[in-house]
Amino acid sequence: MKTEEAGRVIPCMVSTGFFVLGRCGRAPVTACAGCGRPICERHVGPGGVCPECATAQGYGSAYDPFWTSGFRRDHYRSTSSTYQDPGWYGTFDDYDRGAFDPEDQGDFGDFGDGDERDFVDS
Amino acid sequence: MFWRKTRAAIAGFHPLHQTLIWEHTLSATLPRAEWAALLASLARHRGLVRRPKWRLPARTESLLVPLIRVLCEDVGGGVVGITADLRGHGVPGKESPHRSLPVVRPVRRAEEWWVRDPWLSVRSELRDGSVLTLAVTDVVRRRRVVKVNPRGKHKTKTKTKTKAVQHIRTSRALAKGQVPARPGSPPPWWIRVKVRPGVKTVIRAAAKVPLPAERDQLGAIMTVATEPFRWTKSFR
Repeated sequence: MKTEEAGRVIPCMVSTGFFVLGRCGRAPVTACAGCGRPICERHVGPGGVCPECATAQGYGSAYDPFWTSGFRRDHYRSTSSTYQDPGWYGTFDDYDRGAFDPEDQGDFGDFGDGDERDFVDS
Repeated sequence: MFWRKTRAAIAGFHPLHQTLIWEHTLSATLPRAEWAALLASLARHRGLVRRPKWRLPARTESLLVPLIRVLCEDVGGGVVGITADLRGHGVPGKESPHRSLPVVRPVRRAEEWWVRDPWLSVRSELRDGSVLTLAVTDVVRRRRVVKVNPRGKHKTKTKTKTKAVQHIRTSRALAKGQVPARPGSPPPWWIRVKVRPGVKTVIRAAAKVPLPAERDQLGAIMTVATEPFRWTKSFR
């Protein structure tokens, strides 16, 4: 567990808030099985992962307490594009973004010249 | 008595949840823990209430629940106040008086009226000391046209046309002494921003959009609500 550094306990590093971002800061109980950051009792999800790693696998209902983590990331990404403000999404750190697969960002494959034969005139 | 078990289940729900079922309205100012209790109650609704008449009103699960979840994330020790009227546009009291429009044949009669539905109002005390307010109003224009048959027969057809827009207004009053900084890029053209400097700077953002489909309304509201937060840097 990487919760101790030079004799000092690193607090829970989970991002809190939606518009007013912050750190949890509570005493950690374990390290996330996905990204390895220290997490407190409140933020331990199923499988011992942090909220970001849990929602990176997909989030559905807003009734789920961890739903906000996934929605927050999607919201920052989409509004960063709407406002044409890359710095807005840049307020997120590596932990916030890292749990999600960076390769899976709307990459729908390579549409080369050879794909034109797949279209049929009607 | 019919639906005895369902009635008993509803009686066990959170009082605000019951108000949503019976009156399709919600008005409360609560701390974070109380809103969490309401959400826990709402989460049980689908499993226990099957009767369509008693289903949660439209926009509850698509908009109200996510909005409560988002607002509670930033509230800290403060309170969140929400007033939601989810009865829809067809409720008496929201319609303006009908007025006649000038007509030419074959139209015999045309009338127009407006429905103004201020259905959402939010005030939230955020943990950085600022106060967020949000107001959403649907404005719907309705027209009823009565035509005669082009061959002069005395048959009439009534057609009602609807055109709707949504006004989204949000403001954030910063904490005393908190200095705003103009963001690097302007907002999209459809969002208007006003900043009133002072001891407590107020940043207002407003938009008028064609009434989005129910599933898209949360996105539109959240996009407008984002603008006042771009004016302050996030420090962690």
